[in-house]
Amino acid sequence: MEDLLELALRAGQRDHVLAVEVRIVPSSVSESLAVRNGRASSLTYREAAGLGVRVRTDRSWGFATASSLDRATVRATAGAAARAARAARSRARRPLTVTEERAVSNGRYRTATRVDPFSVPREEKLRMLREAESALHVGAEIKAGEASYHAWREVKHFASSEGRSYTSTIVHVGAGIQATAIAGGEVQRRSAPTSFGGDFRQAGFEFIRELDLVGRAPSVGREAIALLTAPTPDSGPTTVVLGSDQLGLQVHESVGHATELDRIFAMEAGYAGTSWVAPEQVGALTYGSPLMEIVADATEPGGLGTFGFDDEGLRARRVPIVTAGRLVGTLSSRETAARLGLDRSGATCRAEGFYRMPLIRMTNVDLSPGDLSFPELLDGVHDGIYLETNRSWSIDDKRLNFQFGTEVGRRIVDGELGPLVRNPLYAGMTPEFWASMDAVGDRSTWHLWGVPNCGKGQPGQVAHVSHGSPAARFRNVAVRGG
Amino acid sequence: MDPKEAERTLESVLGRLPTGIAADARLEQGSSTTMRFANGAIHQPHREELSELSLRIADARRLGTVTTMDLSPHGLSRAVAEGLALARSAPEEPKFPGFPDGGTVRPRTPYSRATARLTPEAVAAHAQRLLDGARRDLPEGRISGVVHQGDLLRTVANTRGRLAQTRQSVLAMRVLVEDLAPDPPASGWAEAAHWDGRRLDGVRLGREASARVARAPAVSLPPGKYRVLLDGSAAAKLVDEFVSLGFSARGAEEGWSCLAGRWGRRIAPPGLTILDDGLSPEGLPVGIDWEGTPKRRTRLVDRGISGGPALDLLTAARMGKRPTGHALPPEAPLGGLGALPLQVQVRPGAARSLEELIRETGRGVLVTRLHYVRTVHAGKGIITGMTRDGTYRIERGEIVAPLRNLRFTESVLTALRAAELWGRERRCFAGDDERGLSAVTAPALLTSSFRFTSATVF
Repeated sequence: MEDLLELALRAGQRDHVLAVEVRIVPSSVSESLAVRNGRASSLTYREAAGLGVRVRTDRSWGFATASSLDRATVRATAGAAARAARAARSRARRPLTVTEERAVSNGRYRTATRVDPFSVPREEKLRMLREAESALHVGAEIKAGEASYHAWREVKHFASSEGRSYTSTIVHVGAGIQATAIAGGEVQRRSAPTSFGGDFRQAGFEFIRELDLVGRAPSVGREAIALLTAPTPDSGPTTVVLGSDQLGLQVHESVGHATELDRIFAMEAGYAGTSWVAPEQVGALTYGSPLMEIVADATEPGGLGTFGFDDEGLRARRVPIVTAGRLVGTLSSRETAARLGLDRSGATCRAEGFYRMPLIRMTNVDLSPGDLSFPELLDGVHDGIYLETNRSWSIDDKRLNFQFGTEVGRRIVDGELGPLVRNPLYAGMTPEFWASMDAVGDRSTWHLWGVPNCGKGQPGQVAHVSHGSPAARFRNVAVRGG
Repeated sequence: MDPKEAERTLESVLGRLPTGIAADARLEQGSSTTMRFANGAIHQPHREELSELSLRIADARRLGTVTTMDLSPHGLSRAVAEGLALARSAPEEPKFPGFPDGGTVRPRTPYSRATARLTPEAVAAHAQRLLDGARRDLPEGRISGVVHQGDLLRTVANTRGRLAQTRQSVLAMRVLVEDLAPDPPASGWAEAAHWDGRRLDGVRLGREASARVARAPAVSLPPGKYRVLLDGSAAAKLVDEFVSLGFSARGAEEGWSCLAGRWGRRIAPPGLTILDDGLSPEGLPVGIDWEGTPKRRTRLVDRGISGGPALDLLTAARMGKRPTGHALPPEAPLGGLGALPLQVQVRPGAARSLEELIRETGRGVLVTRLHYVRTVHAGKGIITGMTRDGTYRIERGEIVAPLRNLRFTESVLTALRAAELWGRERRCFAGDDERGLSAVTAPALLTSSFRFTSATVF
């Protein structure tokens, strides 16, 4: 492998090129198994291998990728990256600078797994999925049940002309169940552990066994049916308690993306958008309630955003983002950190795979737990609503105006959870919403959620990230039925 | 990307299967250049040469799919072994009809060799023309966007002798111009895609985007139901959401399609026809689907009457019908969705120009672009999202003021049922991935019922 890395590093060193980074992936495998209504749904095993080369000139980046590792292709790909950079350089208007950081060579990182998910017999996985899916069908109203499982393993070799190098092997797994109930023109879905595929972790198959999909399935099916006839919530401002999974998504959309420095510097303006945060506000902006503590921690055990080194070859870090409600940090790369005047990147530059250019991506962006138990969170609520498990999410291109829907709501009456409500939506503006957080759940309400579907970039990239979140209480939130 | 070599690769992989095992295989080979620009300069130039083979093996009625980028003899043998193991462990698909026969299919679709062969330097020059056009009328504007050029060769074969092949060329351009001086800042947007890049004029698109940048401060609009004129990009997005929520095979099969109970019934005004047409030069043509079924013109909405769902091999068999040529790749994540129309076209309407549509709107809102559109309730077809990059108040048939962006929460069925008028002029808009996987060719469209539920501050 070292000779291919060396070959690419040499071949990328053309006119004007100041630095070359090479990622060679000799093996990237994934397994996706799903059972839907008793049938196999898209059972897939994927293998990929190839390389990505990024070069930097004094004014531009260039990236090229190919799905072959023969020497001629490696050489040609590095040359193509240099050519792309030169094409951009000739039209560039500003110098490109990056942080100068200590080079770590021969780094090693490997996911700790107790049970290699690729060694578990497929029959065992499919048996679990079939049993879980079958157990969702607790009534004739359940028109679709699905149980799904995913595992990924990527071996990556990185080297840069600046002396950085590492090898990593990362394994992610996840699984979930979902029931769709239909009756009288109404459609309701209920999922577990959460929606959009379930929960995911950097771990081995032991994590899947702990999810107990089979045990959870009947109650998921029953709740989907119950939602069909539940009332919609009253419209108007009220007290909302968000469950851990929904609050994790709220962190993702209204804090994580908003604090990506490439968005703040308008580098994503044409597609995903920018941010309500201006560069000069980093360190000074009041983001929300003093109870708000958010960190981006790429060293957190088990997170999908955990790694040894990012795709610029920098060691993973823990970066405070919001401290006591004040914005103190951002998600950054070498280029954007230098532009903000920082001497270090936050080391959050990652690509979906060898075939994509590294971008600033969330790592594990967590809301820290507070000190109230779940009953204590409800205690102060005379009349409100508890919301859990995302169903729809939308936010404007500066990450301010949002509207989220959840699969399920429960009225809170005099500090107790009451009856179900269906199709709940809540909406707000990011700073006002976070300012309204008046109580944060303790560690018993906190969970690290794996999110394997964060989209960004052109060509599109899907990142795996995580969010640790407790439950929390928000006052005066606009709620209505969808 | 040699078509003969692609055929030989598929022949080779299918030839490695044991006797009695059926399979179909796809080889997607693409080369492309994407030039993203922001803050007035190219910041992410991307060049790729990728090939991926997908092999779906049927051991009797048990199906498994394996994909690989390793096209060496060893890689193909490993794919076969892995696919066999996967299929043998799979639950049975009782309605699997077997793979279709059908000989060789090479539909003649519009394809531009010149576009397919654009160099990175030429793509950068296209980006520069967008920048130049955008700057001409707004020199201090902040300009962002993308130019994507692609060349795709798709080859599909199966063990019953079907061989199908298609090529696709694409050039897609998108440009955003922002004026940061006013509070809130103003922005404008333009985009277009074509299989023949020579038909796209970057300077003109850049000027179109900067012309949309409001020269007056944006004002607020209270939430409520409005007459709304969706310009091409926004209309295409609405239609795309309607097609996804209405015509997906899985939604039809399981009953959660927003068209459930409405198949064959009036859902739109008699003048509105929406097609799926993979062969039309008005879109981004691609001649076959991922099962090798030739594309044909399908009427999704025929003069206001809903057609049937898109179907692939499996969903068609389960519903007792024939595949419609809308199969997606069988591997996850798309494979689980069944089939979906991806080359959608709204037939031209009666309005001669955007100006005429604005006049006919009378009192309402002009929307340039929809952002972050998500499903709120699939069965009811309710979606939500934001407007962006050019939202205007229309009074007495004229644009009178720019508006701060609005959140809409509306059923696609309501919006289309209330379609009053749409344009003769249409434009092709590439899907979100800008790479030609999907496209909607649409005119601007006026609907009398579109609900805004809140507003943002810019």
